[in-house]
Amino acid sequence: MRSSPFSRLSRRGLLKGTAATGALGAIGSLPFGMAFGQSGQPLNFAAWAAAVDQVRAHLTAFEGETGVTVNYEQSPPANFRQTLVTKFVGGAPLDVLWVNDAWLPEFAEAGWIVPIDEYPNLMAYNAEVDQYCTESMTYNGRQYGLVYYADFMAFLYNADILEQAGIAAPPTTWDEVVEQSLIIKEKGLAEYPLLLSLEADAWLIEFVSTLVFAFGGRFVDAEGNAVVQDPEGGAVAAMKWVQAAIHDHKIVSPGAVSTQEIACLKAFGAGQHAFGVIPRYRIRPLNNPAESQVPGKVRMALMPKGGTGEHNTCGWVRFYGMTPEAKADPAKAENVVKFIEWFGGRSNGEYTFQKMLMLDIGVPFCTTPLDSDPDIIAFYNEYLGGTETVSRQGALAIKKDTVTPWFGEWNEINNQAWQKGFLRQVSAEDAMAETGREWDRLKRSY
Amino acid sequence: MTSSVLAALQKRFNYDSRSAVILLAPVLIVLAAVTIYPIFYSFYTSLFDINLTRPHRRPFVGFGNYLQLFDDARFWVAVSRTTVYTVVTVTATAVLALGVALFLNEAFRGRRFLAAMLLVPWATPSIVNGLMWKWIYDPTYGSLNGLLTQLGLIDSYQIWLGDPSKTIYLIAQAAVWKQMPLAAILLLVTMKSIPEDLYRAAKVDGANVFQRFFHITLPALKPGFMLVFVYETMISIRHFDLFAIMTQGGPGDASFTISWQIYIETFRSLKFGTGSALAFILALATFLLSYLFIRMLGQRGADR
Repeated sequence: MRSSPFSRLSRRGLLKGTAATGALGAIGSLPFGMAFGQSGQPLNFAAWAAAVDQVRAHLTAFEGETGVTVNYEQSPPANFRQTLVTKFVGGAPLDVLWVNDAWLPEFAEAGWIVPIDEYPNLMAYNAEVDQYCTESMTYNGRQYGLVYYADFMAFLYNADILEQAGIAAPPTTWDEVVEQSLIIKEKGLAEYPLLLSLEADAWLIEFVSTLVFAFGGRFVDAEGNAVVQDPEGGAVAAMKWVQAAIHDHKIVSPGAVSTQEIACLKAFGAGQHAFGVIPRYRIRPLNNPAESQVPGKVRMALMPKGGTGEHNTCGWVRFYGMTPEAKADPAKAENVVKFIEWFGGRSNGEYTFQKMLMLDIGVPFCTTPLDSDPDIIAFYNEYLGGTETVSRQGALAIKKDTVTPWFGEWNEINNQAWQKGFLRQVSAEDAMAETGREWDRLKRSY
Repeated sequence: MTSSVLAALQKRFNYDSRSAVILLAPVLIVLAAVTIYPIFYSFYTSLFDINLTRPHRRPFVGFGNYLQLFDDARFWVAVSRTTVYTVVTVTATAVLALGVALFLNEAFRGRRFLAAMLLVPWATPSIVNGLMWKWIYDPTYGSLNGLLTQLGLIDSYQIWLGDPSKTIYLIAQAAVWKQMPLAAILLLVTMKSIPEDLYRAAKVDGANVFQRFFHITLPALKPGFMLVFVYETMISIRHFDLFAIMTQGGPGDASFTISWQIYIETFRSLKFGTGSALAFILALATFLLSYLFIRMLGQRGADR
C-alpha cells in the first residue's frame, strides 16, 4: 500500500515553514521591541472613546508645553477592558491609560499598572480631592492614579410633572417614591413614573449598588465576606422594593430589564418619566434645550432612603494609571508623571481639564477647589438649580464594596441574579443567595 | 540536493499524484494555519485553567474545565436555551421556506422580481438585522406596539424582549426572517430539478395535488432539506450576534445560550480555558448534529 503523498509533505514542510515564519516574525519584531524600550519615544495613551474633543485639545496643549508627543488611542467603551487586557497579555506598547475603579484590583494583582504614590508632586493633589475618590484609586494601601472624572448615581425628577401632580417636594424615602408615583400615574401624567435602567450592561452594578446602599445594605462586610444574602439586609430589601415597584405598583416598566442607560436618558429627556436614577453627568444633556424636550425642568434630589439607609448613593472614579513598562524607563516615567499631572492635576497652575470637561459636557470632577469656581457655580445654577444638593449627595457617595480581583467574573452572575429577581423568576432571597454564593466561591478560589 | 529530492519524489509518485499535491498544497497550508491549528490549539487551551487577569498562573487541569461545566447549572440552562432556539429556528425556517419555494415554483407574473426581493433579508447584515428587530420590539417606541395599537389588537404597549417567556422566540423570529430566504432558494432549486414527467404520470394515475406533493415533491426535496437542515442547524446553534445586540443574554437567563456563554467566559471573564472547553463542546455538538442529518436524509435519498 502506498502512503499518501500529503503525510510526508505536511510533516516536514509544515514544520520547516512554521519555523521559518516564526524566525522571520521574531527578527521582524526586534527593532520595534527595542525602540519601545528607549526613552524619548512618544507616550502611548489608551482611553475609551469619550470626551474626545476635550482630550485632543488638552493633549495638543500638553505636547506644546512639554515637547512630549503622545499616541492617543481610543477604543469603544464597552470593550475597553478586553482591549486593555489583550494589550497587556500581548505585550503591546502602553504607558498611560484610563482605568475604571472596578478593574483596579485585577490590574494591580496582575502587575499591569503600578502605584504612583512614589511621586510626591502627584500625591500632593490628594489634599484637594474628595476622600472617596482617593479611596477608589487605592488598593492594598497603595495609590494607583489621579482622577480623570468621578461621579455618582443621582436621583433626578421632572419638576414640571411634580407641579402638575400637585406635589410640593420630591420624595425623600422610597415609600414616598411609591406614593408620589401612584398619584402621578393616577393623574395620567406618566404610565411608569419611575425610570430605572436595569439591563445587564456595564452600568447595572452601579444601579444596584445605589439601591443597596440607599436601603442601608452592603454586598460584603469589612472582611470581604458576602452579606448581600442577609434576609434582613439592605440588598434583599432593595430587591423586594424593585419587585413591588414593577409587578405590584406598576410604577416601573417591566421593560426596564431590557432598557439600556442611554435609552433611559432619551426617555427621561422626552418627558416620559417623573423620577429617574441616572448618573449625575447626564444632568447637562437633560437640561440642554438642544438635546432634551424638558430643558430646565430636570432637578436633582438626594437619593431617597429606605430601611436603615441614609440617602447614600454609589460613587465611582475613572483615573489615569501608569504601566510598569513606563515606570521602568526613568525618562518615560518622568513624561508619564507630567502627563498624569497635566490631565489629573493642574496644568499651568489651573484645573483646566477638569473645568473643561464639566463646562463642555457636564462630566464631574473630584477636585474640591473647583466647587467655589464662579464658572462651575454658574453651571450648577443653570443645570441643577444650585450647588447644595450636589455637594450633600457627593458627601454621601460610597464606593462599590465589590471591587476585588474577581469582580468581573462575579458580576456576570450577579447581574443575572438581579435580573431574575427583578422579573420575579426567583424570590429576592434566592436571587441574593445566588450572588452571595458565587462571591464566596470566587473569594475562596482566589 | 534539490535535484535528488525531486528525483526521489518522481520515483515514488506518478505525475497525477505530484500535480495534485502541488496544486492542493497552498490551500492545505492555509487550511492548516487558519483552521486545523486553531482547533487543536483550542483543545489544548481547554485543558488549562487560564484566566488572563491572572497571568502568573496557568495550571494544567486536564478535563477539569469540562467536568466543571457539566456540573454548572448555568451550562445546562444554556444547553436548554440553545436547544429551544435551534429547534424553533430550524423548524420554522424549513417550513416557511418550503411554503415560499412552493409558491415561487408556480408560474405567475412578477415571480422573478419576487424571488430577487426575497433575498433582501438574507443580504441584510446581521448587525443591522438585530438592531432593526430590537427597535421594532422596543416597549416604548417600537413599531410593533404602534402597529398593534393602531389595529386595536392591544390596549397598551407590551413588553416584548423584556418578557422572558417571549424572548427566545422573538430572537428566533428575527433569525428566521433573515435565514429563511436562502433556505427557500435552496429548496426551490431542488424543486426545479424534479422531472415534470413524474407529475404528468401521477396525474394520469389520478393522484390529487396533495398526493403529488407527499409522494413526489416531498421525497424529491430530501437533498434540499438535508442542505437546509445542516446549514441552518450549524448557523443557529452557534448564533451569537442577535443575542449580543438584542438582549445580551437576558433578561435574567432568558436568552443565555451556549454561544453567549462562550463570549462571557472568554471575553468578559477572560477565562480562556473554560471558554475553549465550551467552544469545543459546541463544535462537537454541531458536527454530530450535521453528521446525523447527513446520515438520515442523505442515506434515505441514496436508497430511493
